Amino acid sequence: MTDHDTNAALVRCDAVARTYGSGRTAVVALHGATCEIWPGEHIALMGASGSGKSTLMHLLAGLEEPTAGTITWPALGDRTSLRPGPIALVLQGPSLLAPLDVVENVALPLVLDGIDEVRAQERARGALARLELTELHDKLPEELSGGQMQRVAIARALVQQPRLLLADEPTGQLDHHTAAHVIDVLLEAASESDAALVVSTHDPAVAERLNQLWPVADGRLTVNARSSACSA
Amino acid sequence: MLGLTWLRGMMRRSGRLGATALGVAIAVALLASIGTFLAGSQATMTKRAVQAVAVDWQVGVQPGGDANTVLDAVRARTVSALPVGFAQTSGLQATTGGSTQTTGPGFVLGLPDGYRNAFPTTIRDLAGTGNGVLVAQQTAANLHIAPGDTITIGRTGLAAVRVRVNGVVDLPQADSLFQKIGAPAGAQPQSPPDNVLLVPARAWHAMFDPLFAVRPDLVSTQIHARLSHALAHDPSSAFTQVSGAARNLEVSLAGGGLVGDNLAAALDAARSDALYAQVLFLFLGLPGAVLAGLLTTAVAASGANRRRHEQALLRTRGATARTLVRIAVLEATVVGGVGALAGLVAATMVGRAAFGSASFGATTENALEFSVGAALIGLTIAALAITLPAWRDARSITVVGARHVVGRTPAPRWLRVGLDLLLLAVSGLVFWLTSRSGYKLVLAPEGTPSISVNYWALAGPALLWAGAGLLAWRVAYMLLGTPAGIARLLARPFSGRLAGTVGATMRRQRRLLASALALVALITAFAASTSVFNSTYKAQADVDARLTNGGDVTVTEAPGVTVGPAAARDIASVPGVHAVEPLQHRFAYVGADLQDLYGVRTATIVDATKLQNTYFQGGTARELMRKLGAQPNGILLSAETVKDFQLNSGDQVRLRLRDVRSTRLIEVPFRYVGVAKEFPTAPRDSFLVANADYVAQRTSSDAVGAFLVDTSGSSPRAVADRLRSRFGTSAAIADITSARKTVGTSLTAVDLAGLTRVELGFALVLAAAATGLVLALGFAERRRMFAIALALGAKPRQLGGFVWSDAAFVTAGGLLAGALVGLSLALMLVKVLTGVFDPPPAVLSVPWAYLTTVAAVAIAAVVIAGTTTIRRARTAPVAVLREL
Repeated sequence: MTDHDTNAALVRCDAVARTYGSGRTAVVALHGATCEIWPGEHIALMGASGSGKSTLMHLLAGLEEPTAGTITWPALGDRTSLRPGPIALVLQGPSLLAPLDVVENVALPLVLDGIDEVRAQERARGALARLELTELHDKLPEELSGGQMQRVAIARALVQQPRLLLADEPTGQLDHHTAAHVIDVLLEAASESDAALVVSTHDPAVAERLNQLWPVADGRLTVNARSSACSA
Repeated sequence: MLGLTWLRGMMRRSGRLGATALGVAIAVALLASIGTFLAGSQATMTKRAVQAVAVDWQVGVQPGGDANTVLDAVRARTVSALPVGFAQTSGLQATTGGSTQTTGPGFVLGLPDGYRNAFPTTIRDLAGTGNGVLVAQQTAANLHIAPGDTITIGRTGLAAVRVRVNGVVDLPQADSLFQKIGAPAGAQPQSPPDNVLLVPARAWHAMFDPLFAVRPDLVSTQIHARLSHALAHDPSSAFTQVSGAARNLEVSLAGGGLVGDNLAAALDAARSDALYAQVLFLFLGLPGAVLAGLLTTAVAASGANRRRHEQALLRTRGATARTLVRIAVLEATVVGGVGALAGLVAATMVGRAAFGSASFGATTENALEFSVGAALIGLTIAALAITLPAWRDARSITVVGARHVVGRTPAPRWLRVGLDLLLLAVSGLVFWLTSRSGYKLVLAPEGTPSISVNYWALAGPALLWAGAGLLAWRVAYMLLGTPAGIARLLARPFSGRLAGTVGATMRRQRRLLASALALVALITAFAASTSVFNSTYKAQADVDARLTNGGDVTVTEAPGVTVGPAAARDIASVPGVHAVEPLQHRFAYVGADLQDLYGVRTATIVDATKLQNTYFQGGTARELMRKLGAQPNGILLSAETVKDFQLNSGDQVRLRLRDVRSTRLIEVPFRYVGVAKEFPTAPRDSFLVANADYVAQRTSSDAVGAFLVDTSGSSPRAVADRLRSRFGTSAAIADITSARKTVGTSLTAVDLAGLTRVELGFALVLAAAATGLVLALGFAERRRMFAIALALGAKPRQLGGFVWSDAAFVTAGGLLAGALVGLSLALMLVKVLTGVFDPPPAVLSVPWAYLTTVAAVAIAAVVIAGTTTIRRARTAPVAVLREL
């Protein structure tokens, strides 16, 4: 047993807040948010642009530190061991590395985690096949459409088989049909490994597919009827 | 309106714009400071050429001409003019110490009152009062006389006259003083007369007016004149001015006089040197400016992707191609203007620091010309770096295409057609053709006022530089592009298990990396070739000065003073003297020629006066001295003597030397063992080198002509001053520091130290900028990539793998390629610019300390750029992800 509890919450936020800047120019992106995320949960963070969804996602991923409150990952370990590994993050917007082809991009988190390059690429090909992207293997990011790039980024998140999968607006650039397929894949992948899935979106149709809805507005995370784990 | 909005936006990206302006500033500062310095140098060359002339014009009164008419005509055109009588004597005779010496024919000059004031550098006093009857040093040596002795002057067809000698003098410019006026250079006497006497005009007239009556062919009059020295700054214009005035005088004299134009002859040499200076400017300044231009382009190009994105956004909002180009022109104008202004300010500061404000530009107009020219070039660079790519993109790139950042673009067309190899081949061909013509860079046809530079010869090094730069690009590009995983191998030391991924990024960005490597290589080559050239140039200037002076300090015994080698102990006791080498000096007759004979100690002379291998033929200095030492009666002769007398190694040579005890000329046998082309303190034409012991034994005297003093680090000037205060006027003491300023061509006499400092300083700045700045900006452009990698979980060490692999490849590859190219360039430049070296260098002088500094600065800049990139990427990845 390591220093973290596998039967505990994946993430625990206690009055977490994030402020950018200082003094008169300070902008509070997230007011004290308190929540827990457990394995197997499928959560939709829903809100308008600029509501604080991405900030919360970055905090959950350990990419940023809160300016107030505490955030811990009881079942995953400390901040330094979250990525690559138990947490995978699909970033909003183009997030592929321009000089790497599709397979290399997808394999990158595994290689960063110390997995042999050949094996990493094999697994990357598998993840791409799952998203029906086999024909894109040797393409460079600049040769892909916006939607294709987003799907490759999702494949890169799935290939890590994370315990917490965070997807920031993963369907923002996709048509309805493809978006539905992507959500299917994300849900399926999360279910297979009993991972938690958190998807930020402003699309009610996407939010509807997930079993919890956490609305975010003006930096405040509000408790939804379907959610019992979080409160603002 | 859009332009102003764009400008406001630009201010928010002041870092990249500042870096672009810095590139422009470097080019402008380099061109302005070097240009104005060399313009100043040309003025210095004119000034020095003028100062070096003792008598500007020697107007020979022609048979049938009236001396007074000629004098009046010359006075009307000059600052001062005085008549000087020239009479040929049948010989001179003196009886001293019970023996009588007789010389062959010679000259007796009649000097009017005030001559020495009007032409102070014509005569240098060695002994005596300096007034009355003066005898030339060699004549005094031939006759064994000193001030106070009496000599007899032979007059053809008349009775000889006797005069009492008041002093012994040196005639530093005897060659021009005794020139054959009106004769072309090839028909001039090979050497000045051995026997010369100077007497006051009144006495001269008393002696030679009667001779003129019977033998007018043996007596003549010259008008010596000094011109106004308010001449054009440029030696070429000054030459045209002076030679034109001389021709005008000759025409007005209608055959009554011919002008020996010493001033024009000196300016003629200086104008060749001025053209060499122009060439130096081309090869020192232009590559630097080109590099600064390339650097500016590289800096601007590192933001090209962002610009393309922005252009694409503007296009989607209806901006036309013309609007985009206008915006780019505005950006280029702002960047170019700021850069040019900063460059000119820097040039002024550099000028003050390196050259002193007085020599920063010959005139205000001159400095202004160079400043405006440099600023215009700066603006052009900005236009080429910013506007041209923007114009190209605006015409050809679609909104979708603007997303492309790495692409699968094919190899550039120049690489496919082999332009680099072609340039190298042409460079080799030009060099070969230049070497066939003996590396004649400055063409000055004799007798014509026109003079030109063979700029074609410079094409050799220029094409080598460009071709090698492109070749470095090709090699880097091909190395990274090979499927065999060379990129992975290169990346492995810095990225470990991530090598495959890092190698892949390097492979896909090989155009960018190859460009950065080629830029570093070109700058390193520039720094290396310039510093090696400068260092070799400086070393040769030292060699030249040492060749003239002999040692760091040279103590030459006054005429009539006889000192043996034991006196070296007295000299050695003076503080600052490290070693003393006695050098015998005698005169010896080789057939009918009187030549200088030097008696040396072969075991010590090589190190004592740092004998160069280039002074000798058929072996190194050490080998020739060893050969001479092994043969007690061995002798080294000039190539000319060997040729004239058809000698073969081992042949016996019989010379006539004066035996000190009997004061008679005696025949001394020597054995010819080798050829000496130059020798310290020796004249350039003919001289002999033999073993000191043998000469001493055969002439019954070990008298030393000069002591060569090695100061070994102590200031030669300070040691010379101490020696002067110790020995007073009993010896002439010269130091190498002073000699350096007076010997050689006016070009070598120009102190290039300031220029070198500027040049090498700029090379350092360029090296730092090319490595640090270009990599930093390249990394900055990839900060989103690093932020994504961090978001995916890359550790700082892994991020370092990406950064250090690129940095190491560009820096190590660039420095290595640059060192190789720089060395080749230096070799070629020294050959092509062989005219500026006298004597030519045997080996290149490599300034290791400077080159190490260049490498250290480049590496330090890379380390700073890399660590800053990693630190910044670590501290704010989310901010970057949000920003972009």
